[in-house]
Amino acid sequence: MIADAASGNGTRGWIFNIQKFSLHDGAGIRTVVFLKGCPLACRWCSNPESQAYRPELLYARDRCIGEHECDRCIRVCKAAAIGRDADGKAAIDRSLCNNCGDCAGACPSKALEVSGTLVSVDEVIRAVEQDSGFYVRSGGGLTLSGGEPLAQDSFAERLLATARRRGLDTAIETSGFCRWEALQRVAPLVDQLFYDIKCLDTEKHRVATGVSNEIVLDNFQKLRRDFPATVVVVRTPIIPGLNDSREDIQAIARFIDSAGGATAHELLAYHGFGEPKYQRLGRTYPLGCVETASDESMAVLRKAAACGGDRR
Amino acid sequence: MLRTLDQNPESLVVPFPGIVLSPQEARIERGEPVGLIGDAARSKRARIHSMIEGFRERPIRLNVERARLLTESMRQTEGQPTVLRWGKALAHILEHHPIHIEDDELLVGSAGPSGRYAVVYCENAGYGRFYTRDNELTVSRPGDPIIITEADIAVLKNEVLPYWDNHQYNAALMKALPADTKRLMEKIFIVTSTAAARSMLAWAHDYGKVLNRGIGSIKREAETKLDAINPLDTQACVEDKPFLEAVILVCDAMVTFAHRHAALARTMAAAEPRAERREELLEIARVCDRVPEHPATTLREATQSQWFVQIVSRLEQSIGGVVGNGRIDQYLYPYYKKDLEAGRISDDDALVLLESIWVGMARTVDLYAKPGEPSLTDGFAHWEATTIGGVSRDGRDATNELSYLILQSKREFPLHYPDLSARIHSRTPDAFLHAIAETIKEGTGFPKLFFDDEIIPSLLAKGAEVAEANDYCVTGCTEVKMLNRDVVATGCAWVNLGAILEMTLNSGRLKFYSDDRIGVVTGDASGFATFDELWTAFSAQAENVMRHTFIQQFVADKLKSSFIASPMFSMLHDLCTADCKDIHAGPIKNGLYLGFFDIIGFGTVIDSLAAIKKLVFDDRTLTMDELLTALDADFAGHEAVRQMCLNAPKYGNNDPYADNIGRDIEETFALLAHSQTSAFGGELDLRYVSVTSHVPLGMIVAATPDGRRSGEPLSESVSPSQGADVHGPTATLASIASTKCAQYKERAARLLNMKLSPASVAGEIGTKKVMALIRSVCDMKMWHLQFSIINRETLLAAQANPEKYRNLLVRVAGYSAYFVDLTPALQNEIIRRTEHTA
Repeated sequence: MIADAASGNGTRGWIFNIQKFSLHDGAGIRTVVFLKGCPLACRWCSNPESQAYRPELLYARDRCIGEHECDRCIRVCKAAAIGRDADGKAAIDRSLCNNCGDCAGACPSKALEVSGTLVSVDEVIRAVEQDSGFYVRSGGGLTLSGGEPLAQDSFAERLLATARRRGLDTAIETSGFCRWEALQRVAPLVDQLFYDIKCLDTEKHRVATGVSNEIVLDNFQKLRRDFPATVVVVRTPIIPGLNDSREDIQAIARFIDSAGGATAHELLAYHGFGEPKYQRLGRTYPLGCVETASDESMAVLRKAAACGGDRR
Repeated sequence: MLRTLDQNPESLVVPFPGIVLSPQEARIERGEPVGLIGDAARSKRARIHSMIEGFRERPIRLNVERARLLTESMRQTEGQPTVLRWGKALAHILEHHPIHIEDDELLVGSAGPSGRYAVVYCENAGYGRFYTRDNELTVSRPGDPIIITEADIAVLKNEVLPYWDNHQYNAALMKALPADTKRLMEKIFIVTSTAAARSMLAWAHDYGKVLNRGIGSIKREAETKLDAINPLDTQACVEDKPFLEAVILVCDAMVTFAHRHAALARTMAAAEPRAERREELLEIARVCDRVPEHPATTLREATQSQWFVQIVSRLEQSIGGVVGNGRIDQYLYPYYKKDLEAGRISDDDALVLLESIWVGMARTVDLYAKPGEPSLTDGFAHWEATTIGGVSRDGRDATNELSYLILQSKREFPLHYPDLSARIHSRTPDAFLHAIAETIKEGTGFPKLFFDDEIIPSLLAKGAEVAEANDYCVTGCTEVKMLNRDVVATGCAWVNLGAILEMTLNSGRLKFYSDDRIGVVTGDASGFATFDELWTAFSAQAENVMRHTFIQQFVADKLKSSFIASPMFSMLHDLCTADCKDIHAGPIKNGLYLGFFDIIGFGTVIDSLAAIKKLVFDDRTLTMDELLTALDADFAGHEAVRQMCLNAPKYGNNDPYADNIGRDIEETFALLAHSQTSAFGGELDLRYVSVTSHVPLGMIVAATPDGRRSGEPLSESVSPSQGADVHGPTATLASIASTKCAQYKERAARLLNMKLSPASVAGEIGTKKVMALIRSVCDMKMWHLQFSIINRETLLAAQANPEKYRNLLVRVAGYSAYFVDLTPALQNEIIRRTEHTA
């Protein structure tokens, strides 16, 4: 979806994390590769550093050791974007910062770090295969996540195809907001596909995520039509105030059924773990104060989802 | 890959967990009192439940009687052969030590007074380190963990200690060392010898031999040998004869000890008003008349016989970490099966017998460690190692119904007895692994896991027969023993790797010891032009410290048999009886002497060397002078330097930059081990088992280049530095695997703690993933693995509110202990260990 001169036709791509020993992103013990860049900007996004397509400076102020010990970042910043706050700690003027990362290289305490690395398919596969022994015993493998992994569709496709060829179990977590052709190309390459359906109300969806849900729903119907045998797990994050009514969930369940069903429909309670990351990006948390849904209300919603109909 | 999707959908949904509690944490939060866990267990094993109710509140009394009787006998036998002296002493103890039978108990015998007790081993260094205040024997005060009375002190001061002041092995050992070795050994916590702290290394007995043959048969064998001695065979007359006489004395005394219990039970029965208990007491009398003298015929007799052997063993000598139970699911199985088939017992009856042994063990508290001050084995550590699972002598899977019952007991019996070890091999059944994973998830740290696929080949390389290697049992913390082949008996040393590093950076000096030159001169570190020069200095300091460690061990081995003998232990060992030699009197023919030494602070030193290599030599972001200045100031005013150190490459992240240094350290010490032959012709193996020594050993080490401040604990065992492994457990495991030099046979235990959050292993899916993790660790040929499944929040709450968390058990290092009994330094160290959350 993004024109990507650096990617060399998908042999390279931008990632922001490789997370091993992941137990909740598909079967077994898995390695999740987080691709950078996302066309959505969900207000509850727990990985806001995943949204931009290019490297971005993260600043953890609590780790900065301050003026008495250090001024390395200020000295190396060519854009003069770093000054001091009232406590003598680094203060970043984001309007001047060009995310070059020089300050991160100089920072002794890693208060300053750059999120986003350009890596080759081979490098990723090498890192993933370090845990092959664990995949064999647990049925695990590689999961692509993001960001929206299909925003770098050529890279994602090459990663999955290479993993497949090398015998790794594969999975992808997608928002479904992508070109149909991208989904069409990766669907045959995965053993398991996690597909987010957040909300059926188009307007609410637009307000909450920044985009309409039409592409998401359309792609889902095509996916079930053209790849009926693919294991598809639909995931719905439960965001109080957005989609936490029985009606919201039943509407999604009915839509899934009408499109040909899914292997499972998982409801995930929203949590606020991502909030500190917004501060590190110099942004304010868009969701504000929202409570996590209680176990009781989650149980009610799960029951509503289960009444949706056919499950395969 | 549908295996996770056909599960209960409720359990599928765990990606955004809040705080999930382990079953142990949940019980504490609900405020449940100590007792058997679960209604079924409580009603079917009411006897055990009532025996352990309020157990933690019961006072611990000092047993000075064993010390008194031992000393009384020893005074009479000066000048006689050591083994005969100890035989006479043990017989004297068994004939005169007070005995009692507790309410409700089925298995009888105790190495102390009624209730909980601690035995004084006056023959060991520091007299077994019984509880004192300011090194003065004083009557205990309210709140002290152990009760010491005026009468106890009178016995010790008047009848016991004056004798041992002049007859202790420890004092003789220090005198016998060469001057330069002695100088190093006297500086505590550089090389910490345990040679004289206990009479023996961690061990178990061949209980099966007593169960199958009876003590009577062992005595007859000794008598036959004694009769057969040719009067002109001078060696036999001088050396074999006292051994055989000691064995016969001990056999008779063991039978007498059992018969004393039988007589007591009959007397108590005569006065017992309750008909049911009267019958029980008469049955106790019948059993004690039969075992251990004769072969056991039922599980009841087998467990009583085993328990008598344990008690006599505890009265004979202190064994490192408390005497082990061996492969209990193997040697008890024939009796269990026969009883079950005959309809004599149910599984609950079997559990009551097993748990009677557990309660008996829980009554004894090991004095070696005292709470409240940093210690080498903090929190009343104990390892009555109990082994289940693994392969049989002929290489088949050995798991049986008893293995499962013992796991069930571990989930339902709330005390941290026994220390349970499960042997895992490539064909361990999934059902057994499932039961193990479920037990681990309880969160009390049991069972710890040992991997046959690594340990058996390692024993073969050291010279064992296949059947012997297959039949190994766990002893102590992470040691293994082939009960009729291993013969090493003397405790081994902890070597402070952190101190070696400090000597490297200061040309042999240690700040803690006022900059005395303790090591060798290797030159001013700021003059090192390359990392290789630094490495050469490190190797030289390591070689010097190890040289003294080896000498100390050699002298300790040679000297010991003049002071200590263990006839009861020796008569149960095939090689000792074949050679008519006490276990301490090496060399024993055909015996494998597998001694060891532990290097402590592996992670700390890898990270320190990696930081120097990266910052000073590769990136040149620091000079050596800047680093040394910061270390000298304990980083005060040098926070930027400390941060750079903290953010250098760290061991535990599958990063070859750090891991390769770890491999080089292992190779250096493995080669030193390879160069040695121990006093009796065996080997000294490189191990990584700190127990809790990494806390006190850290106290003498100044700030280190990994960012650790002066006096803080070193890293623990083979684990990465606390909190340094940030890429999950698979990366940690990969690092540990890649530091191993498998080409040397002079290697042994690598102790590994892994802390997981309860949330990450929640539900049946979590259980399956723990199973998969264990299978992978078996594939990776690790030696040992133990899990802590606990929330950091719980540990912090327990520090703030110890009363509420009095019964919280945590994995420490090869053992579990009550968190509130640990010193604050160790509590903090455990909290700082990385918690993997997945």
